[in-house]
Amino acid sequence: MNEEIIKLEKLTKRYGYGDAESFALKDFDLTIKRGEFIMIMGPSGCGKTTLLNIIGLLDRATSGKYLLNDENVASISSAKQSRIRAKKIGFIFQNFNLIEDLPILENVALPLIYVGMPQSVRLRTASAALKRFHLGEKEYYYPYQLSGGQQQRAAIARAVVSNPEIILADEPTGNLDSRASYAVMDELKRIHEEGNTIVMVTHNPALTVYATRVINMLDGQIATDVKTVTDENLPQPIDVKVKKKKSRMKRRRH
Amino acid sequence: MSLLVRTHLRLARTSIKENRTRSFLTCLGIAIGIASIILILSLTGSISNLITSEIGNSQDLIVVRPSTSKDELTSVIEELTSANSFERSNLQIEDAATIAELEQVVAAAPIAQSVVTVNDEDNVVASATILGTTPDFFTINPLTFRYGSAITDKNKDTAIVIGHTLSLYLFNTSNPVGRTLVFHGQRFLVVGVLEEVMDTVNFNNTDYNNIIVMDINVLNDLIGSLQVQQINVKVANTGELATTAETIRTALIEQHSGDTNFIVAYGEAIAHPASALLTIISGMLAVVAGVSLVVGGIGVMNIMLVSVAERNHEIGIRKAVGASSRNILMQFMFESLILSILGGFLGIILGYIFAFLVSIVTPFTPFVSWHIILTVFLTTFAVGVLFGIYPAIKAATKNPIDSLKHYR
Repeated sequence: MNEEIIKLEKLTKRYGYGDAESFALKDFDLTIKRGEFIMIMGPSGCGKTTLLNIIGLLDRATSGKYLLNDENVASISSAKQSRIRAKKIGFIFQNFNLIEDLPILENVALPLIYVGMPQSVRLRTASAALKRFHLGEKEYYYPYQLSGGQQQRAAIARAVVSNPEIILADEPTGNLDSRASYAVMDELKRIHEEGNTIVMVTHNPALTVYATRVINMLDGQIATDVKTVTDENLPQPIDVKVKKKKSRMKRRRH
Repeated sequence: MSLLVRTHLRLARTSIKENRTRSFLTCLGIAIGIASIILILSLTGSISNLITSEIGNSQDLIVVRPSTSKDELTSVIEELTSANSFERSNLQIEDAATIAELEQVVAAAPIAQSVVTVNDEDNVVASATILGTTPDFFTINPLTFRYGSAITDKNKDTAIVIGHTLSLYLFNTSNPVGRTLVFHGQRFLVVGVLEEVMDTVNFNNTDYNNIIVMDINVLNDLIGSLQVQQINVKVANTGELATTAETIRTALIEQHSGDTNFIVAYGEAIAHPASALLTIISGMLAVVAGVSLVVGGIGVMNIMLVSVAERNHEIGIRKAVGASSRNILMQFMFESLILSILGGFLGIILGYIFAFLVSIVTPFTPFVSWHIILTVFLTTFAVGVLFGIYPAIKAATKNPIDSLKHYR
């Protein structure tokens, strides 16, 4: 049985009041399991980015329930939300959002500051993450010295550096040409296969081949929801696999 | 916690380094304010040191003064505005005699000052301060004579001692001993001229260069209803100043039938009127310097607001990767604190350089003390917090989603 990490129940996000009232999300229900690679598609203004911001705790829903690891995080204080954001959530953006004044290495190490790691450990961890994404030699480059694809790979390294529960990507290939897009998607595929859970918003239907589940949204609600991989076959992180193996062995012994 | 502090310090250092010129100019704004405060504090400090050293020479001294019911500030302002201070004294000439009879006391001299118009032999009219006292005054408060000698019990009816400057003004000579002065219709003989005194600040509140000293009883007869402003007392045993002061107090209360409108001061308290005045003057100057510090502080706030606006995008990114509002607040607070504390250090250095430059052309010696340094440090800290808090709050309360859209 796959662990549910995120459960959204009757989530509503409303903008304005009275006649000007509009809904970015309306009674939105969604359950995300560990190891899923979800792609969210839909026309502009259907609430994709709002959904991502709410899952990423950057925004608050007007009403509804948001369970992250069985904890209702919709109504907790913003200080607690930022702590969760630092530990459990990784963001990848369309425009990379790297800090221009900091070298790549320190950009990647950024989330670790707020987890509370000492600097030496931070830089070592970030350096290892950069090597995983083939940017080991660019550690001390500044973002403007890198190509778009390289910048996005650095952003992916930043998103995974603190081993988050879930990675949220908002059109990560939107600013890239097709070659760089596929390179970035290959990296995402690789981190997914390592057992990471990814929710990605995209406009590009060609990229859905990477997903295990494709959701089409319309007017703040789910229009279609297709799973291409069964829950049993979802990739699992190593520690979860080990846990399962151990419990299986226990069962065998009994 | 210390980890976060260190991280914030590093962040602030990076950001200040990135905008070197801007940061330096901001620091300079604070530095100028601090430098003027340092300059004022070090110069007034050197003056009050001068007064204290004056008292230091007279360890065996107790001073009795009438006390006013008014608060300190009012009395100091009165002292500034009126020529004859302590007009309404309740001390009597006889009180000095009472004190002098006490066991511990060597000598006691009453002091009364007044302003008179004097004529010399050639009818040059001048206005001079006249100090009435007894011959004991010169025993208690040893003054050096340039020519002649002090008034004695024998010649006190007609003898006067005058100051150096007054002597030059009236007689065009520094040695007028044997010549005469006329005031209040009486002729007086100059028996002595005081040596020129460099520091005009002393506990008798008297400019010795510009004074006529004469017997208090003779002066009382001339003017009538003379007010005793002070009684100087010399004691035998310097180790028992406190008990002697208490004895004097008791004796005077008895003499005045229970009236306690006077002060018996010894040690540093003797310098009080002069240093209260000094405190007020230096306080006023410090307020002026404080204004320039406020201007410097506004500079810090301005630059921090610019910095917050410039780094809107960065704030969004930091929040997205897990920075709490408090983290952002601290980051910007540290930056403004470092700016103002750096400015403070620069100001201390500049201020003392100024103070040394001033000391070259004036008789002041710059006064350095850890009190001043500590005060300045705390002040810059306060400035950093006060003027940094608004930009920092502004940064911390930014909506991360809006900030992320703000792409430069």
